[in-house]
Amino acid sequence: MTNFIDYFLGGVSTGAIIALMALALVLVWRSTRVVNFAQLGQAMITSFIALTVRDATGSWLLALLVAMASGLVVGVIVYFLVIRAVKRLDTSGAIIATFGVLIALQALAGMVWGGDQKAFPPPISNSGYEVFGRTWPFSPYDLLVVVMLIVLVLIMTIVFTRTSVGLAMRASAFNPEVARLSGVRVSRMLILGWAIAGLVGAVAGVLVAPLSTLSPTSFDLFLVFAFTAAVIGGLDSLVGAVAFGIGTGLVISLVSGYTDSGNAPVVALLLLVLNLLFKPEGVFSHHKARAV
Amino acid sequence: MLRVEGLSVSYGAVQALSDVSLDVPPGRVTAVIGANGAGKSTLMRSLAGLVKPQDGRVLFDDEDITGRKPEDIARMGIALVPEGRSTIPDLTVEENLKLGGMWRSHTQRGTSLTRVYALFPVLGERRSLGADTLSGGERQQLAIGRALMCGPQVLLLDEPSLGLAPLIVTQILELVSQMAKDSGMAVLLVEQNAATALRVAKTGIVLNLGQIVKSGPAHDIANDEELRHAYLGY
Repeated sequence: MTNFIDYFLGGVSTGAIIALMALALVLVWRSTRVVNFAQLGQAMITSFIALTVRDATGSWLLALLVAMASGLVVGVIVYFLVIRAVKRLDTSGAIIATFGVLIALQALAGMVWGGDQKAFPPPISNSGYEVFGRTWPFSPYDLLVVVMLIVLVLIMTIVFTRTSVGLAMRASAFNPEVARLSGVRVSRMLILGWAIAGLVGAVAGVLVAPLSTLSPTSFDLFLVFAFTAAVIGGLDSLVGAVAFGIGTGLVISLVSGYTDSGNAPVVALLLLVLNLLFKPEGVFSHHKARAV
Repeated sequence: MLRVEGLSVSYGAVQALSDVSLDVPPGRVTAVIGANGAGKSTLMRSLAGLVKPQDGRVLFDDEDITGRKPEDIARMGIALVPEGRSTIPDLTVEENLKLGGMWRSHTQRGTSLTRVYALFPVLGERRSLGADTLSGGERQQLAIGRALMCGPQVLLLDEPSLGLAPLIVTQILELVSQMAKDSGMAVLLVEQNAATALRVAKTGIVLNLGQIVKSGPAHDIANDEELRHAYLGY
């Protein structure tokens, strides 16, 4: 039982980061119906930028803010690279294009920062709290991660449901034609969607880097987990992304704990396959089944 | 107010509209009638900027707006209520309305919202419910309400009778016609249901296979038996 509690607690912050990554994928999907596989590459680049800023200034907060700002910019750049492909080809062409961008970003990071594993120290202690005479696998840093997720989700909820720009973004996602006829500049809303996704992904990158190390390919596994969570959540549901992001984090922590950490991606893919077989529209989606 | 000169639209090899010219004057309803496939929706969609015409011009207050983007045309004061489900079911009734005219000032939008709720009281009662809970007639009112939120000088109504009970259609169209009279708004109404459309319209235009075959006072068109048999099928 203690094992279960330990594995469970140990998965919370990983789950929160997967949730952020899945949120980024969902934001892009909602605006342009493209799964952006470059999202993790963008987060990796912005994490390297953050590490550079942190090493230069010593400030983690400044590094986070710079990562968020560059996440916005990189999101817009990738949007233009990928959307050109959508205009010339179609959605599947765009998905291939996102893979191309991912590989290009990893190559770019390798050229600028090298291919080694780099340490990204956490801003606060990452050793577990000691309560009731034992150490629990939940640290002040894990708490920070969870708080960051909650704050971002709250801000996004307020923006999407309480502001005009949020309403315009939702309308552009649900029915671009009606939105345009209402005077909404839909193409700007799509760019904004990619930009916000870039920002959210950048936060996820800066948060996940201290849990392992940072290298051009160190986020690859997170792409699998985030994609699984986003798809099971319905791809267009923000609630689904958060719920299944945390869920995926807990599942992989339990699987890694009881068996071997190498089994975690297999289990994630298994969940994905089961989902596509039995509930292909996703758990939180209000749309009918999508073509798989 | 809105003037169409020699408009031609084709989808690939199919000529949907050829050399269509018409005037939409302020303060009244102009009805375009014709059978399915006559090019009515294409006409509306090209006026709203959703379809690019091959030839011809659309003039709004003597300004050439041909080929402009739909969002720019909406902002100039031309609002289209497209055929069928033109409300967003995932949003609430009030969100659907607030979507219209987002570029306008807070005060203007507030005034428009009050006006729409006065015109369509049922929308006010259901403002916080999802648009998917509305009946067909209520949804059509919501679609028109959204267009009115843009504060339009020209209202384009594409087949509002589709799937609605005749009594509801008459109510909605009479309301629109009254609004046109009161506010000086120009209304272009496209309908397959010719009898109802001609009852509220001042001018009638008969469209067949993308061409205008007849235009004149609505009353004359409604009473032209030959025309009715040939093109309108009743």
